[in-house]
Amino acid sequence: MRVVTKSFLRYLIKRPGLSVLQLLGIACGVAAVIGMTVSARSALTSFAMAVDFLRGKSTHVMERPAGPLDEKTLEKLMLDPAVRYFSPVVDRKIKLKTGESVRVLGIDPFLDRSIRPELSNAPFSETDVKNRQTYVDFLLKETTIFLEKNLATDLGLKPGEMLSTSRGNFQILGLFANPSGEPIILMDIAHAQRLFDLSGKIDRVDLILSDEAGFLPRWKEGYRIQSHSQKKETLLAMLAAFRLNLEALSLLALFVGVFLIYNTTTFAVVSRRRDAGILRSLGAQNSEIVLSFLAEILIFGILGGALGAIIGHLLAHFLVNLVGSTISNLYFFVRPVEPPWSIMTILAGVIIGGGASLLGGFLPLLELIRIDPVQTLSGRTVSRKSRIKTQRVAFAGLAIIVVSIILLLLSFINVYVGFAGVFAFILGFSLLTGIILIALGPAMKWLFYHLGGLPGKVAAGNIRQNLSRTNIAVSAFMIALALSIGLGSMIGSFRKSLVWWMGTQLRGDLYISTIAEIQVPEEFYEELKAMPGLGGIDPYRNVQVMYNGFQISISSIDASVLQRYARFGWLKGGNENWEAVKNGGVIISESFARRFKTKEGDRVTLDGIEGPVALSVGAIFYDYTTEHGLIMMDRSTYIKIFGDTTINSLGIFIDPGNPQRAELLGEIRRKAQERNLPVLTSKQLERNILALFDSTFAVTRSMRFLAIIVAFFGITGALLTLFLERKKDFGIYRALGFSTSQISIMTVLEGLGMGLVSFLLSTVGGTALALILIKVINLRSFNWTVFYYPEWQPYVVTGIVAICASLGAALHPLWKVCRTYPQMQIREE
Amino acid sequence: MTGDRKSAHSSKLIAHRECRMIRHCSNPSAIIMLLIIIAFVFPIRTAMAVEKDWKQAIGPWQWSFPRDHGAHPEYRTEWWYFTGNLRDREGNQYGYQLTFFRQGLTLVAPWPDNPWSIRDVYLAHFAIVDRTSGKFWYYDQASRSGPGLAGAKLGNLDVWTLNWSAKMIGNTIHLKAHMDKMALDLEISPRKPRVFHGDNGLSTKGPNPGQASYYYSLTDLATKGWIQTELSKNYFAVTGISWFDQEFGSNVLGSDQVGWDWFGIHLSDGRDIMLFQLRKKDGTIEACSSGTIIEKDGSSRHLRQSEISLNVKEHWKSPKSGGTYPARWGIKIPSTGIDITLTPIVASQELVTEASTGVTYWEGAVTGSGISKGISVTVEGYAELTGYAGSLDRVF
Repeated sequence: MRVVTKSFLRYLIKRPGLSVLQLLGIACGVAAVIGMTVSARSALTSFAMAVDFLRGKSTHVMERPAGPLDEKTLEKLMLDPAVRYFSPVVDRKIKLKTGESVRVLGIDPFLDRSIRPELSNAPFSETDVKNRQTYVDFLLKETTIFLEKNLATDLGLKPGEMLSTSRGNFQILGLFANPSGEPIILMDIAHAQRLFDLSGKIDRVDLILSDEAGFLPRWKEGYRIQSHSQKKETLLAMLAAFRLNLEALSLLALFVGVFLIYNTTTFAVVSRRRDAGILRSLGAQNSEIVLSFLAEILIFGILGGALGAIIGHLLAHFLVNLVGSTISNLYFFVRPVEPPWSIMTILAGVIIGGGASLLGGFLPLLELIRIDPVQTLSGRTVSRKSRIKTQRVAFAGLAIIVVSIILLLLSFINVYVGFAGVFAFILGFSLLTGIILIALGPAMKWLFYHLGGLPGKVAAGNIRQNLSRTNIAVSAFMIALALSIGLGSMIGSFRKSLVWWMGTQLRGDLYISTIAEIQVPEEFYEELKAMPGLGGIDPYRNVQVMYNGFQISISSIDASVLQRYARFGWLKGGNENWEAVKNGGVIISESFARRFKTKEGDRVTLDGIEGPVALSVGAIFYDYTTEHGLIMMDRSTYIKIFGDTTINSLGIFIDPGNPQRAELLGEIRRKAQERNLPVLTSKQLERNILALFDSTFAVTRSMRFLAIIVAFFGITGALLTLFLERKKDFGIYRALGFSTSQISIMTVLEGLGMGLVSFLLSTVGGTALALILIKVINLRSFNWTVFYYPEWQPYVVTGIVAICASLGAALHPLWKVCRTYPQMQIREE
Repeated sequence: MTGDRKSAHSSKLIAHRECRMIRHCSNPSAIIMLLIIIAFVFPIRTAMAVEKDWKQAIGPWQWSFPRDHGAHPEYRTEWWYFTGNLRDREGNQYGYQLTFFRQGLTLVAPWPDNPWSIRDVYLAHFAIVDRTSGKFWYYDQASRSGPGLAGAKLGNLDVWTLNWSAKMIGNTIHLKAHMDKMALDLEISPRKPRVFHGDNGLSTKGPNPGQASYYYSLTDLATKGWIQTELSKNYFAVTGISWFDQEFGSNVLGSDQVGWDWFGIHLSDGRDIMLFQLRKKDGTIEACSSGTIIEKDGSSRHLRQSEISLNVKEHWKSPKSGGTYPARWGIKIPSTGIDITLTPIVASQELVTEASTGVTYWEGAVTGSGISKGISVTVEGYAELTGYAGSLDRVF
């Protein structure tokens, strides 16, 4: 057996190019899996850490159902026997001059000491004791802050220097560390109240309760009190869809990765059937050969897996920032901690690499020992038998596609069923490549004959003849390309749907501030309302509230103004739907309707400051602002229920025919600038939203890219093997008078042929995938309808990538051809 | 000069704390200590400029009650100090301490309309000692006034820090405090008139003008109500006797004292004594150390240091702070016919108050016996011992 193993290993050294490709193929597959999984986990851990850090030692958090809390509550709270410690918090965002939004925590260091000792002590324990004046300054001077260390480092700021923000400059008294990495600005509560115009109000109270059961009934009415585990669950639930998305991408990476490793290994076994046959003819035992193969497979699997783990770890560093910025944009600021390096990562890589390799080697090895050794020597012609086999595989593929359709139809049970459907579809579709390659044979022959003459015809024949190898490479490449097309089309359709949606909702001439930026003072709204000539002003307020134990959003608007100017996309009916809103009813987003199975005419019950209020649902509208569900109501209804008069932004509408239009707009801009309020046109607002959208899909896009790199190695490996295996054929070509350039054309066309077939197949698979993602996955995980817009860009882009990749893959074989072909002889004859 | 007690209390111990801070500046719970250092020490050190803004205790004070039970915000520092000796129905002995401090940071809050805008910091200490079990529990907290979170009203005794409060209604002071399983709800009513220490309540502290404070006491307060300890699980009724001090001023002591020993004791024949001795760095006792004897009928007489003999007979070493405190005293005041011995009812009554003043000191119930005017008497009361935990060298 040692002899056999040695001969195997020698083969590897003899063909270093192929060995390296095989290794890289495995490594890439593992890297994709590890990179995606590690970064997703790392970002989510950071999220949980940030939540924990902010919460400190508090057991509960107390808020109003919507909007800030009257600080007078504290006086009653402090006398409640169940309250051990309490700390009022102003928790807001501020925009730095760099454009980054950063959390501002306004706390009372005296009261906060028992809740967040790390935070309320940190600034004071680290600074030079000599500078005690800083503590007095922190309490008495309005523009003094403490700054989170990493943020200070990023901005290159030191204590004593000024931090510039959209709301003025702040003197940095000192720095503090935040283990979760979230950048935070710490400010005395008095100064935070002044900064955010919150006179008499706070955002929440963090509590340490000694008697939850006694406390809750006393404060039930008008407050939202959540234990910290509940709060964390709520926050994590907010991330549910996003997490699912990450998990799906990780699974996809796993699938593609394993598939690729499988291909690589299958390839390795298939391409060595002949050698195995020779060894068996020479008397080697089946078990010896299998064990030697296994040894080889495992060596590759383990080495490739370990290498992949390292690449994956590096990849995770890049991906984690993408994931983190997406979470920050959409949900909650996190600064993902760099994924920690651990031996477990290597181990995971080795297991994935080794496992997938064994899986890949299993079937071919089984076939190898069943087959008559003489047959393995006879070559690779398309025998009747292999044709039958290809047909069988295709049937299996069709069967799997049927299963996948059933799974997709059943996806209403659980979105994971939908995911299973997607994977089944990809797997099933990939099994069809063999039969399609055979079917496309004549057409390719015709095309390549016209492209490259005789060498082209031979190239097409070669692809078909070496089906056992080309098939695998083509199906792997096809999957990568289909993913690219599918994800690209899905993102494109989503983007177009979003653009359509913005057209329905954002029809104002000007928008003053946004949710993410500063609030609009109520008196400014009143001031603008008093301006003659304006068509309408929509005071927009958006808050997160609890509904049936889930966090949802509520928007309050001016229904009359929107009825006149907006063109909402209704599931049923038209602008007459606003009548219900004007009369104290609500309209709900499609995501709300689907999530809570609510229809027009149903009632939704919200916890207001004076207890539960039931509101009737007038209509359902398309919306992409939140997957958690949105209830929209008139401002008057909202204030009645929640007593919150905050305004996040104002939409200004002026009739197009108004002769004073330009002057009015100028006047409003001037007034807003006086108050330092940001002004955006609807075009600017749309651009901002689209930028956010694009950053959200950065991870998905990087997965697309990854899939193609992975497939590239597959194609290169296939071409190289074809070349190495066919040295005998090259001798014949030479004997027949084929020139080096002709052989070169042949090699290039072989690569191109595989690329073209892969691409053709992927257009079908990709389109199907896009439809599945849009109609099943998106609908199930986000509860919203994305409209399918056929787009040419993903196809063209993917097509170009396919051609370039296949040509690129041909480069190495081409170089070998040019170097070795002139010396080739028909040695065996 | 009796008013020195609490001023010294605040300044010295805080200064002492600061000293510890310098050595242990990585201590994670340093914030409040530092805030207090700022509050108490920093203004002293920075400049007279700050001091001149606050009113100084100069000249006689026109006492008027209930007005002077209330706050005197024009002075930087002020405190209301309640201690008492209690018994439950079974005769088990307890002691309590409930103390409120107001420390001004600035004469005018930056934005007086905003309750969070800080002018004063309010600090409070709360302790209960149980002689039977030998247990001592204490808590401390701090707050700015905020929206009704802490304060001291003008015009009458109404002071609170979060859910701890002292409020005078009629002739009765209501004390309330609750923290975890420990609580106190007492009504205390004076049986003797107010005692004004020093020169009609002006107690000078040093040679400089303004180095003084205004200081009076209610030494004999009939006490009844309920307390709850961490062992008792529930409120139980107690009765006993309490002592109340109020003092306000803007300055603190010079730098040559290391600490003091203070006693407020009740004799069973109806006489009360207040004594204190300021210990100087060189080991001598400050000449202005003194006392007051309050007779059964409420009349009082100033006691000079030369009239008092205080001998420490035993010591106790705190395992927590490492400080060694006196733990048994012989007190002789021949001019009053008093010769008594005092011991703490529980040795360990040390407070390490990181949440509020950041001071480590011993404040505890004491008991004893002896002779007063030739008759055997029993004695109970409170003692306060400061400047024993750690060294103050670095500060001065």
